[in-house]
Amino acid sequence: MNKITKFVNNASIKRFRFWFQIVAFFIIIYGGYAAIEIGENLPTFACPYLDKPGGTCFLMGLQHRFTLPFDQFISFRGLAIITSILFFLAGFVFLNKAWCGYVCPIGTLQDWFTKIRQKLGIRYSNYSEKKFKKLKKIKYILLALLILIPLGIANSIPGVGKLSHDWGVPFCMVCPGRTVLPIFNGDFSQLTIDFSSKTKMVFTFLGMAVTGMFFAGAFYKKRFFCFFCPMSAFQFIFKKLGLLRLVKDGSKCTKCGDCYRACDMGIREIADDVENKDIVKDDCMMCFKCVAACPEEGCLKVNFLSKTIYKATEEGFYKRTK
Amino acid sequence: MEKERIEKVKKHIRTEAALEAGQVLKKITDNFPDNPEGMKYFYDLLSRQFSEEILPKNGKKLIGTMCVQVPDELILAAGAKPVRVCSGSFPYDNAGAEFMPAKTCSMIKAIMGLFQVEDFREKFDMLVIPTTCDQKKKTTEILKDMGYEAYSLAMPSRKDDDNSRYYWQNSVKEFAADLMKKTGNKITKESLKKAFDLKNEARYEFRRLFKLRMKNPAVIYGKDAFLIANAYFTDDIESWTAALKKLNDELEKKVEEGFSVANAKVPRFLFTGSPPIFPNMKIPLLVEEAGGLIAIDEVCSSSRLLYDMPSYDEQGLYDMIPAIADCYLKPCTCPCFVPNEERKDKISNLIDMFNIDGVIYQAFSGCQLYEMEQKLIGNFLMKKGVPMLYIESDYSPEDTGQLSTRVEAFIESIKMKKKSSAAKKEENKKDKK
Ligand code: SF4
Ligand code: SF4
Ligand code: SF4
Ligand code: SF4
Repeated sequence: MNKITKFVNNASIKRFRFWFQIVAFFIIIYGGYAAIEIGENLPTFACPYLDKPGGTCFLMGLQHRFTLPFDQFISFRGLAIITSILFFLAGFVFLNKAWCGYVCPIGTLQDWFTKIRQKLGIRYSNYSEKKFKKLKKIKYILLALLILIPLGIANSIPGVGKLSHDWGVPFCMVCPGRTVLPIFNGDFSQLTIDFSSKTKMVFTFLGMAVTGMFFAGAFYKKRFFCFFCPMSAFQFIFKKLGLLRLVKDGSKCTKCGDCYRACDMGIREIADDVENKDIVKDDCMMCFKCVAACPEEGCLKVNFLSKTIYKATEEGFYKRTK
Repeated sequence: MEKERIEKVKKHIRTEAALEAGQVLKKITDNFPDNPEGMKYFYDLLSRQFSEEILPKNGKKLIGTMCVQVPDELILAAGAKPVRVCSGSFPYDNAGAEFMPAKTCSMIKAIMGLFQVEDFREKFDMLVIPTTCDQKKKTTEILKDMGYEAYSLAMPSRKDDDNSRYYWQNSVKEFAADLMKKTGNKITKESLKKAFDLKNEARYEFRRLFKLRMKNPAVIYGKDAFLIANAYFTDDIESWTAALKKLNDELEKKVEEGFSVANAKVPRFLFTGSPPIFPNMKIPLLVEEAGGLIAIDEVCSSSRLLYDMPSYDEQGLYDMIPAIADCYLKPCTCPCFVPNEERKDKISNLIDMFNIDGVIYQAFSGCQLYEMEQKLIGNFLMKKGVPMLYIESDYSPEDTGQLSTRVEAFIESIKMKKKSSAAKKEENKKDKK
């Protein structure tokens, strides 16, 4: 037992994650061909615009279900919202936000961009933390909109009336899941602008713009898109339910900042917060790179159901920095 | 005539300094039984501090540094040898007093004396002095005026916000560029990686010693631990690491054999404040000769020297240099920072980890920062219920008698406390039975 723990704690999380992500990527993108179907309300971008994905993205269903007249909230259809969230949670609790760090194909793609950039020896860009903090709020606005707009389709807004069905699945229209992932099926059809109506034109145009930013951003800033992702915002609401946890023992922390440096999401609290045990912030994708970068014995830990499965150790630190 | 007289005075100071070093080393070795075999290397090295054999030029550029804050990985990566020139010598302190203001701290005076008496202009290609305290800042300019190639490494006075962090990262980057110019060698990611590994190996052994010092009863005296760190100042990093590895192996074996230098009843102290630098081992020796043990310290000349470890994410200078910079700034507990809550946290953790009974706080007279922070640390320790002895002193041996009375009284009081609490524990045990 001791040997296994030691082996795990000395392991390179980067390598483990790299391979895990590849497997997950293939399951999500091509799983359907092998009759794999993980679930319908997955807390990750398993996009139904793909030919045969290995599951379905929760956000699409959520947007559909909220296209709901107010008087039907207390009905079978209203109940469907709750059951879909319950299904979402059933999957979510196991990995918590590690869905982002280990499974999401959009996240993985961005990590691959980073790899390419590193191979080319191109540096990342720095940004001012304060400005970025404000920008990061966008994900909550997107989350609100992707619920409110469908409501506006089904219900009359005073002064505006009902929105047309062209407004359906508004987030999907701008999501890189729709435009980028089908490329892996050889399908480039989503990378066009739809001129059939004004709304559609604007949406598809925005979608193209986001795609452009997705590519350019991911290259210079690690996980650029993830800062604005409403899925991450939605997950964060339920982080307390996660069985997988990232915890910190502040008394062991020297605030050396190694973890902060390693963090692709630039989460400062991971180093500077020595008060809170549960250290997961809204941007965190539970990649656990911080744990691997921490030199203090047992300071950062990964727990599953309160059992430690991976933790920072001095020995592991030396092994990894060699 | 005048020149001759000056040479005579210089020679006299040199002899006195060598004498002082010899005397202190004799105390360190003779007044204590069972000095570890592996310590010989360090004793020997310090007996020849700053001498021709220790600081040969052999083709390498010598870069003098004046603080833990100077990232010596960069100096190593540029193919030069880093030498920390902080001095603890009283004769040099006296020499410095000739031309420095009276209220300057002993360490600064000693450094200035050293650089006045020894003509190091040819020897050192550069002296790097971070802008930590005001005295160091001005020292840079005075050294320049004396004809030295003094370099001011700009440091922020905060460490907790990203503006300061970027400011410091930029100044380290500039320093790297200037080093390349000075040495004519390029710092590449390969050479930096090598320096990184060298230093991490040193850190590895240093942390091993750190853990060995946690053992209670202790296997090594604090005075020896101070010397080991002090030897790092001038030694070649590889030989130093190898020597410490040997010593650690020896100590580990001793632990297995059940050997110890002090039994569990001996009061264990944490030493903090202004840095004891060889040969100024005045206070540590007073404590350990009076029957105490300095189990651990929180000073920049010893346990803070090699504890923190940087880690970088991408192998490229654009990430490695800032990683080094961060490691020298963020976890630093020097009182030149505001706020400096981390120092309290660190002391508190060390007290718990090392089973500490009391704290010895030394401040050099004239070192405003340590003098002023004494109050804050004192209040903090009072709340924690750990007694502290505050000692204001300098390099002169004059106050030794008076200080030894205070130190002895402090140690006695802690012994009493230990005894009564041990007795209470016994009683509790009996009651339970
Ligand atoms: S934040 Fe969004 S895009 Fe990024 S990994 Fe998570 S779900 Fe995927
Ligand atoms: S477009 Fe994006 S939000 Fe919509 S279903 Fe696909 S991955 Fe999910
Ligand atoms: S790496 Fe570990 S010790 Fe360093 S700041 Fe992060 S949590 Fe603290
Ligand atoms: S805080 Fe740690 S687990 Fe979360 S994103 Fe940053 S490095 Fe990954």
